[in-house]
Amino acid sequence: MRWARDGYEPAFRELVHRYERPVFSLIYRMVRDRALAEDLAQETFIKVLNAIKSYKPEYKFSSWIFKIANNAAIDHLRRRQLDTLSLDGSPSARSPEEMHASAPQLGDVAESPLDEVESRELGGAIERAIARLRPEYRSCILLRHVEGHSYEEIAKMLDLPLGTVKTYIHRARNELRVYLEGARE
Amino acid sequence: MNEKLQTHLTPEEVELWATGLLSAARTFHLTECAECLAVAERERKLLVELAQLQRFAPSADFAEKVLAQVRIPAPSGSHHA
Repeated sequence: MRWARDGYEPAFRELVHRYERPVFSLIYRMVRDRALAEDLAQETFIKVLNAIKSYKPEYKFSSWIFKIANNAAIDHLRRRQLDTLSLDGSPSARSPEEMHASAPQLGDVAESPLDEVESRELGGAIERAIARLRPEYRSCILLRHVEGHSYEEIAKMLDLPLGTVKTYIHRARNELRVYLEGARE
Repeated sequence: MNEKLQTHLTPEEVELWATGLLSAARTFHLTECAECLAVAERERKLLVELAQLQRFAPSADFAEKVLAQVRIPAPSGSHHA
């Protein structure tokens, strides 16, 4: 880290190699679109590395980069939700009923067919269960149980009270169990 | 038996148990409470599934694309590879 802050180019490369998989995986599981996840992961690294001089060593580097990655994914999901809400149905609809029937619903985005690679990578029961969680729960469960961050770190990363993080994770695990049990029946 | 031993495990304690970190005193509760044991077993199964999730790789030229867009500050010290 210190070498990267001092402008040592191989240290930048090392940071990218060390964190590209975890950062990309988090974003990919949040947005469920490979190309988009790659763009957002790139944005994350560019933002972090361009601000490396302002990095505070008392804050864990992994917490910093995951915070920015998660923000990028959440911002995208919020924008997408707004875009979806602004669409009010097919322009060729001839009645309010047809307009309503053709209007995309919020769930449509997450349920759209994945391409072959995405389907293979994110098509398992546990991945589909994670995708059904609301984004805040999804962030918490991935940061806790896939990336192994402590509750305290997650609270800092997501700017949430510790109690809220605990509640989100507890509820997310309950929902995951329900989805998985439903999928197995 | 004291009150603590009789209290059901909290979600955090269940997580600690599933990862082998719960105190022996609280773990003892599971030998006497079928309800908590069932919850804990389900939780452990879920945590194992989550822990086994793979990490995906971005495209092979990801690092190059990133580094091409980063302003690397002028070196402020001497480092040797």
